[in-house]
Formats: sequence, structure tokens, C-alpha cells
Amino acid sequence: MTDLDFRQGDQPIPGPQTNNLADILERVLDKGIVIAGDIKIDLLDIELLTIRLRLFVASVDTAKKAGIDWWETDPALSSKASRNALEDENRELRERLKALEPSADTGREKESEQA
Amino acid sequence: MTEPSDSRVASAEAAVTYVFAVCRSTRATSTLDVTGVAGLPGGEAVRLLPSGLLTAVVQTVPAADFTDEVWQRRLSDREEIERYARAHHAVVSAVATHGPVVPLPLATLYHDDDRARSRLADEADRFHTALKRVAHHAEWGVKVYRPLAPEPDPAADAPAPEAAGGRAPGAGLAYLNRKRGAQARREKLREQALDVADSVDAELRGLAAASRRLRTHGAALSGDQRVHVLNATYLVADERADEVARLVAVLGERTGAQIELSGPWVPYSFVGEV
Repeated sequence: MTDLDFRQGDQPIPGPQTNNLADILERVLDKGIVIAGDIKIDLLDIELLTIRLRLFVASVDTAKKAGIDWWETDPALSSKASRNALEDENRELRERLKALEPSADTGREKESEQA
Repeated sequence: MTEPSDSRVASAEAAVTYVFAVCRSTRATSTLDVTGVAGLPGGEAVRLLPSGLLTAVVQTVPAADFTDEVWQRRLSDREEIERYARAHHAVVSAVATHGPVVPLPLATLYHDDDRARSRLADEADRFHTALKRVAHHAEWGVKVYRPLAPEPDPAADAPAPEAAGGRAPGAGLAYLNRKRGAQARREKLREQALDVADSVDAELRGLAAASRRLRTHGAALSGDQRVHVLNATYLVADERADEVARLVAVLGERTGAQIELSGPWVPYSFVGEV
């Protein structure tokens, strides 16, 4: 997936034809003279956001491949609120699991202790 | 949403007019050969649509492929959006080699050529103002990255070996102090980098007819681990383009920051506010 790489390479001053995708997108999406078209296509906000999300996903994958994963362990980046939500959800799931298969839960706990 | 299946059937046969850009109707424009430009995937040949003093660069494309719904999907697919963005950019850039051009944003569409002509005619004044502004100018993008932080000297902050060994009281405090020191250093580097960004921007503005600061690309957007502290773009007269390149080189040496220059771009960033 070389196309995930948006960098312009090592050239400090790239020539005109080496424009990277991020540079092009920020120009063709929300620049230019805006004239109302007949067909309404929403490009300005949600779309940009969508793209950003996609790019974010892509670059997180790229970073992980490069072994960069500091945010996964940085306490500043894992909010207490989301941990609590996760704990609540886990507790609820465990309870539901227990109700469905009383033995499954203890089995899982053993497994996680060994890990 | 009204009868989606019916509208799909109807639009499958329909074609719409996609407008890439607008230029002046000059002799050079009328002989402009755009047949070699690929245009957007699935469309017909790129062509010129003259309308009085202005000429639009257009392409007939299948309506079914250019609905909002299709575009929302397209915008969520990195490869797809790249194809369309690059195709759009290629057409705009090709036309710009022959004279001033005012690009329209991606996906500006009209039901047919007549609608496109009449809407562009309504905005003729704005187009002429923008064309005048960008004539004999190009856009140059400048990105400044923070110089890579030097590795902190471990000896400077690390506690003496005997204190660090084992679980001596105060090891936790030393750890916190070390953390705080690293944080302060990072903060200082960040402030220095922003100062560099401001001075680079100020110097380049001195050469430019106009400038814009764009949002910096986080590592998330660029896949680049360097810290991006300035993303600016400048409208520069053609005869001063060499000065920009020289100034960027000088500023790079003086500040120690990594500065990247991109361009010349069609002045996308300088036609919207007229």
C-alpha cells in the first residue's frame, strides 16, 4: 500500500509534478471560486471530515507498521471517561454472558490470568 | 428521498456538465487543445465551452456517477478520491500553462452546457476580477517543520546511579522531575518552532502579492512524523518565483528548520475571495 505514503520524499524542494495528495485535496476541495452548481454535492465540511478520518485511519496503520504506538499507552490520551464506559460495558457483557452460560465466564477469566 | 429507484433509472441515461475552470476567451484559448487531457474517469473528452468573454473548461460526465450519494461514497474511499482529485487538478494545471485560469472546486456540476453558460455569465464579474488577480502569478506552498528535537542528554537529568538503583525513596520523585523536565523542553522547542514559523511567514509575505495560512497537517494527515508548524501559501508574481526559492533556502539555513516549497500551483487559494 505505497499509496498511503503522502510524503514528498526526501527532496527538500520538490518540482511542480510531485504534489502530494494532501496538498492537492486542500486546494481542490475547499478552494477555487465557488459557484453554485445545479447538483448539490456536499464537499466542504462532512466530506473533509470523512477524508480526514480515512487519512487518519490510514496513517495510524502506517505508524503502527513502523512500530510507533505511543498513544496506545499514553495515559494522557486514554480518557478516564472512556475507560469507565468500557468498564461498564465489560461488566454488563460479563453479566449477560454469565446469565447465558454460567461456565463460560470463569473459563475466560482463567484465560486472561494466564496471558 | 423520493422514489430513489425511478430517479436512478432516469439519471443513468442522463449526462451533466462538469466545470473544471474558467479562463478568458482569447485567441490562445480558442486554439487550446485539451483533447490530450484525460479528464475524469468515465466522462467524455475534456472540451472548451466558450461563453462571451469567458471560456469554461468542461467535461460531459454521466449524471449517475455524479450524485451526492455517489460522491459521499467516493469521499470515503482514499483511492477513489485521489483519482478524482488528481484528474481535476491535472485538467486545471494543463489549461493554466496557456494563460490565467480560475479553478472551480471539485464536483461543480450543471444539468447541461446552457445551464453552465448562464450560471457562469451571472458570475462573470467575479471571474474577471479573479482572472485579473491571478494573471502572471502562481501559488507557492511553504511548509515548515520543527527541527528534530535533539535527544535529551540522559546524564543531565538522570539521578545518580545509586539513587536510581533499587527502590530508594525519592526514585518516584526523580522520575516525575525527569518527566517534567522533558515536558518543559518539548514546550520550549514547540514555542521556538512557532517563532520560526512566524518569521518565515513574515519574510515570504514580503515577496508575495497575497498569502494564506492553511491548516497544518498533523502526522495523521501526512503520515509524516515531523511536527508541521507552518502550512502557508503565497501568491507570487512569476518574475519573483526565483526569489521565493532562494529565500526559502536562506531561511532554512538561518533557522535550522526544514522548509519545503511546493509549486508553482494554479492559484487555487487566491480566487475564492473576490
